[in-house]
Amino acid sequence: MLSTRLLTKRYGSLTAVEDLDLEVGSGELFGFLGPNGAGKTTTIKMLVGLLRPTSGNARVAGVDILAEPERAKARIGYVPDAATLYEKLSAREFLEFSGDLYHVERRLRDRRIEALLKLFDLHDRGNDFLSGYSRGMRQKVSLAAALLHDPQVLFLDEPTVGLDPQSARQMKDILQDFVREGKTVFFSTHILEIAERMCTRLAIINHGRLVAIGSLQELRHIVGQDGQSLEQIFLELTGSREDDVSAVLRGLEE
Amino acid sequence: MFLNQTIRSRKPGRIAGTIVSAAIIVIAWSWEAIITWVGVQASQRAPLQLDTVHLLSLAFLGYTGVLVFSSLVFSLNALLLNPDLDLLLAAPRPVESVLAGRMVVQILRLLLLSLVFTLPALLVLAIASHNFLIPALFATLYLLYPVSVVVIISLLSLLLVRFIPVGRGREIVTLFGVILALGINLLNFLFNPALRDPGFARRPGVPPSLPDVPAASATWLPSGWAGRSAAAILRGDWPVALEWALVLLAVSAVIFAAGTILSGRLYLAGWIQAVPPRRRRLPGLRAPRLSGPLPLLSPVLASIVIKDWRMRTRDVAQLVRFMMPVVLIFIIFGLRFGGLRSAVRSLGEGPAPAMVGLIPAWILLFSLSISLGLTAVSLEGKSIWIYAVSPNTTLRLLQGKCWSTAVPTAFLVGLVALTAEILIRPGWLWAATAVLLAVAQAVTVTTLMVGIGAVFARFDWTDTRRMLNPIGAFIGVGLFAVITGGSALLLGISLALASATRFPLISTWLAAMTVSIGGAVAVAILGLLIGNERLRGLELG
Repeated sequence: MLSTRLLTKRYGSLTAVEDLDLEVGSGELFGFLGPNGAGKTTTIKMLVGLLRPTSGNARVAGVDILAEPERAKARIGYVPDAATLYEKLSAREFLEFSGDLYHVERRLRDRRIEALLKLFDLHDRGNDFLSGYSRGMRQKVSLAAALLHDPQVLFLDEPTVGLDPQSARQMKDILQDFVREGKTVFFSTHILEIAERMCTRLAIINHGRLVAIGSLQELRHIVGQDGQSLEQIFLELTGSREDDVSAVLRGLEE
Repeated sequence: MFLNQTIRSRKPGRIAGTIVSAAIIVIAWSWEAIITWVGVQASQRAPLQLDTVHLLSLAFLGYTGVLVFSSLVFSLNALLLNPDLDLLLAAPRPVESVLAGRMVVQILRLLLLSLVFTLPALLVLAIASHNFLIPALFATLYLLYPVSVVVIISLLSLLLVRFIPVGRGREIVTLFGVILALGINLLNFLFNPALRDPGFARRPGVPPSLPDVPAASATWLPSGWAGRSAAAILRGDWPVALEWALVLLAVSAVIFAAGTILSGRLYLAGWIQAVPPRRRRLPGLRAPRLSGPLPLLSPVLASIVIKDWRMRTRDVAQLVRFMMPVVLIFIIFGLRFGGLRSAVRSLGEGPAPAMVGLIPAWILLFSLSISLGLTAVSLEGKSIWIYAVSPNTTLRLLQGKCWSTAVPTAFLVGLVALTAEILIRPGWLWAATAVLLAVAQAVTVTTLMVGIGAVFARFDWTDTRRMLNPIGAFIGVGLFAVITGGSALLLGISLALASATRFPLISTWLAAMTVSIGGAVAVAILGLLIGNERLRGLELG
């Protein structure tokens, strides 16, 4: 459903993503992990067509995103981190606009909007301006907009940030229902517990390079220690150590 | 810091813009110095009996109006929008010192602004009168005079902000800024003697005069103290200058101290705690909603048009920017209506009065094409990603933007043109062609501005005042001038051609119109294509 080949993004002398090779199949809930600045958001933005790769290629839902961007985008849903929405529109108006952009037939669009607003407990606030929404509510509206046109691949960048536990659980259920229909979810997160519980496969990226890819068991095998948590595997593979943090904190106290 | 950032940015456009801006400032200063020098020489050759105390007091009183508005905008901005204030107030420093610091910053900014506008003139006066203390002493007056206004307005802002809901702060600040600009222009139009004469007729022998406010130089007003001190500085009377400056200093110091303490008390009493946001919502199903498809437009284009108009009409600041030129046109031409109409009607019937009658529509077109067309693409702001990830081309976005700006602009311009032609009565044929020309040019010029706006689009703005790129505005204004000049030239040629060759005037006229509109269409399409190329290369990293 999703594949990249030597996907690279450079900004002058800075390499944000380098030679990324990924394969994600249908029905997978794929977690994309990495420290801050590793290149997760850059990768997702290349895959949804917001950034042009410096080299390499990517196919999403069987379509080359570079050669046929409009055709690929019609099959993609995208939820960015801290989405900036149209403040002067209500949630309902924004979803109507989003549905029109994705050429969803009008009656179907309206039915889906009502269903999604009910699903995300936003039905009573559907006519309120987005400027009055909290971050979590905006995240829900963004997800609703991404699901409105029934995409085949869903890209989410830090989807659970700002969500209360109930909403985070609700999102998890929605994503799992989504992949059960044979579709694909590709999401980045810092919250390793969520990735550990939800994802069928994971990839870890560091300094723009793919460090490891596979199921949790396969990652444990790479590190060479069975029974380790994802957090321990992540820290091992990205070279982060608790000792370094303690040393910095001790330095501040002196 | 600005110069350092500009140089380090290594952006040729930014560096060139800074150099050009600096050059403009130098030219303006030179011009001011020359005018002042000429005035000094003239006054030495033909001395005038002027009440300098009253004149300078009047100037300071006029300055007070600017101080009130600018202080209000600054204070509201600091209280509602500037995150620095929250950090400072959370720091282990007295609240009074933080609030006093804000007021001092504002006073220093006003001092610098005053010097930017008047320093060349002061230097020339100092050289001409061999009185080299003039700039320094005037700077002292510029420092002291705003204190009482800034303090009073800061206190009023603390009271006012309580009633401004959270989330509306940016709109309110922008609205005040727009009102300030509108107010200054309107006052200039109403009171500037060069603009106050009715129609084109001047009464011979009567010089234009400034409006007078006798109380400006009263001894109980700060403008009177500042005016007396300034007049004494100019004539070199140091004791009198010092006396009135000390009065100003003493009163300013007392007001500053009292204002600082009161501000601290107001703040600590929770006076500016955030007002719970009112839930802004639409009337709901009972109210008519624009939800059906627009005729002639595909759903994507219709949704862009509807979305844009919702955004423009629901943002108070944007709505004011859109309505301001329309209102100004009505005020300016309404006040001069009688004289203008009789002057144009005296030209009789024909293409010339029909074209002269288009002037209000043309001015409106200039304002709307700049304010709507140039900002059409930038209106997306940081939400541009929503369109960018959708399965639609950038050309479709531009088409939607053209529909959402050109149609209302053409409608308003056409309405004004039609009204003017009905009142002027240049002949129905000429009136019809004039209105047709106005509507056609409105569509093409606005489309051109959309294209230019796409080339210079800004998506990182949070304040609507930053939507418009100055370079894009400069180019837009320049192209508008070219189109206007080109159209006028073509129409003039058509008149000359008709009289020289005996072709029917209507034929040459229509030919000129066709070429004019055709040329504008070609330029507009080119602008759109260039804008499209720029948007296609846009990366939203």
